[in-house]
Amino acid sequence: MKRHSMPEMKEGGVNVTPLIDIVMCLIIFFMLVAKIGVSTGAEAMDIPESILGVKIEDMGNTLTLNVRPGGGDQPYITALVDGKQQELKLWEPRPGGQISSPFLEVLKRFRKQNKDFKVIIRGDKEMPYRYLEPVLLKCAEANVKNVNFNTKIGSTTAG
Amino acid sequence: MKMNASKKVHYDSGPNMTPLVDVVMVILIFLMLAGSFGGAEHYMVSNIPFKEKGVGGQAAPKGMIPDEPLDIRVDSTADRWVAQVGRLRASDVPTLTSQLRKMRQDLNSTGKKTDNIQVVISPGKNVKYDYLIGVYQAALEAEFTKISFATAH
Repeated sequence: MKRHSMPEMKEGGVNVTPLIDIVMCLIIFFMLVAKIGVSTGAEAMDIPESILGVKIEDMGNTLTLNVRPGGGDQPYITALVDGKQQELKLWEPRPGGQISSPFLEVLKRFRKQNKDFKVIIRGDKEMPYRYLEPVLLKCAEANVKNVNFNTKIGSTTAG
Repeated sequence: MKMNASKKVHYDSGPNMTPLVDVVMVILIFLMLAGSFGGAEHYMVSNIPFKEKGVGGQAAPKGMIPDEPLDIRVDSTADRWVAQVGRLRASDVPTLTSQLRKMRQDLNSTGKKTDNIQVVISPGKNVKYDYLIGVYQAALEAEFTKISFATAH
């Protein structure tokens, strides 16, 4: 009588099951944690550290200002305005000898559109106060009452 | 001649996972490159109050009682800062915090509410932003609620 033997088992290559498990976990983690396509206009710079601070959940009412020392006494300010990252000059000469402030105009426009409008200041930590002062003055002039200083969560601060 | 193909061993290794692994790896790399994390930063809030001079330079409404001012003068050298509040001086955040907290408690004991005390940070024009954040934090830690910056001295 002919006996049927079991089919011969053969190793099917590298077992990828643990790899898929880990990769799937990583994908789910990144999908939950990462922010994709959300841009506030914040640029990479060395901002100060602070222990105290709050999170702003609703970034829809905010304008993030990247403030760096500029040429002369004017700070170099950039922000995401109308979907475009652009430089906002504190003052610039206009034809006819007049001086305009594109920065102030933007602040006033945002303030008019939204009563809860907030400004977020991302300043270079080495920046002298003379560059920050006119930014705060223009915010006050535009009647922006809520100014937030963006800082890194740290365990120490200067001094 | 015997054909080798007839002796091929058939085994069932389940569904082919290779395309799945390919796609999943592409998604993973995309998310790692395109994603950004917002967990390492936070914000120090300032509601710029009414002030006759300085940054919040708006006229106070009629009938409004002005807040008790508490001026912090900040000066700095290349690598350190000094904050002066009245006769007290501090050059680090913990010392300034304890001095400001003591002042707040003294003012509270005389009947001044914290909400009616206006802390005004008055920095020199070359004081670094980093130092000012330290002073601002000291005022927040001392539980002051109204803190603003004034024009540079």
